[in-house]
Amino acid sequence: MTKETSNPEQWLNDHGDYLYRYGMSKLHNEEQAADMVQETLLAAWRGWNNFAGNSSVRTWLVGILKHKIIDHIRKEIRDRNLTEAVETDPTSSLFNADGSWVDAPRSWKENPEDLCGSDQFQSVLQECIGKLPDKQQIVFTMREVIGEDSDTICKEAEVTSTHLHVLIHRARLALRTCLEFNWFGGSRQS
Amino acid sequence: MNHFCKEANQLQSDGFERKLTLTERIQLRIHLLICGACRNYSDNIKLLHTVLRDLRKGGRVDESIALPEKDRTRIGEALKNDSNS
Repeated sequence: MTKETSNPEQWLNDHGDYLYRYGMSKLHNEEQAADMVQETLLAAWRGWNNFAGNSSVRTWLVGILKHKIIDHIRKEIRDRNLTEAVETDPTSSLFNADGSWVDAPRSWKENPEDLCGSDQFQSVLQECIGKLPDKQQIVFTMREVIGEDSDTICKEAEVTSTHLHVLIHRARLALRTCLEFNWFGGSRQS
Repeated sequence: MNHFCKEANQLQSDGFERKLTLTERIQLRIHLLICGACRNYSDNIKLLHTVLRDLRKGGRVDESIALPEKDRTRIGEALKNDSNS
């Protein structure tokens, strides 16, 4: 191992921006993203002996950062005491009493490649995720933004898998409505 | 009459999370045949799922975002203190 690669200040120089961007893409919060970078670099420095050297330093750092972000979300669950939070059924306003749509979803014409490449779309998406009720937001973020497996999420959020599926379903419904209104049509329609 | 849209949408979402039973798959397929709104819904959430998966796999990140200077300084000092202790 060269002296340079085991220097945490060098890591900050070389990978600080990258790690910060990664944190921002998951947390959408400047202060939290910067804190995660600091925690990651400190943990990496203390655990330098564990670096196997079979991946790049950047990959190793991102791995640590990912765990830090999940820990952070766990802490949020505890702090906001979400297990006690009342979860209301948001579907009631979207469906008539007979189970039909109040506003029928429209067809979206855009393709994934264009959407992924659009900073504007990503910021609308982040805004919409940020508007979800706490518990939906956390389980949806863990599942679809971070890509955590269901078992882990159930354990962390203290929900059964059936409840998890209901929460994710509600999050999808709400997100779809928010995106239709703010991006795919709705208010943007000329 | 119940339009089944609400139930169908739960099933569609569940389809990303678990394997649907045969009965569920048939119910859903029949409903989608007759309901254009739910077909749109189905396509919409598939698109959403795909976009999120692609972003997770390291989709384009905004290169203009950089660690703010004040945070960089703070983190640099924290690292220095830690390695001296």
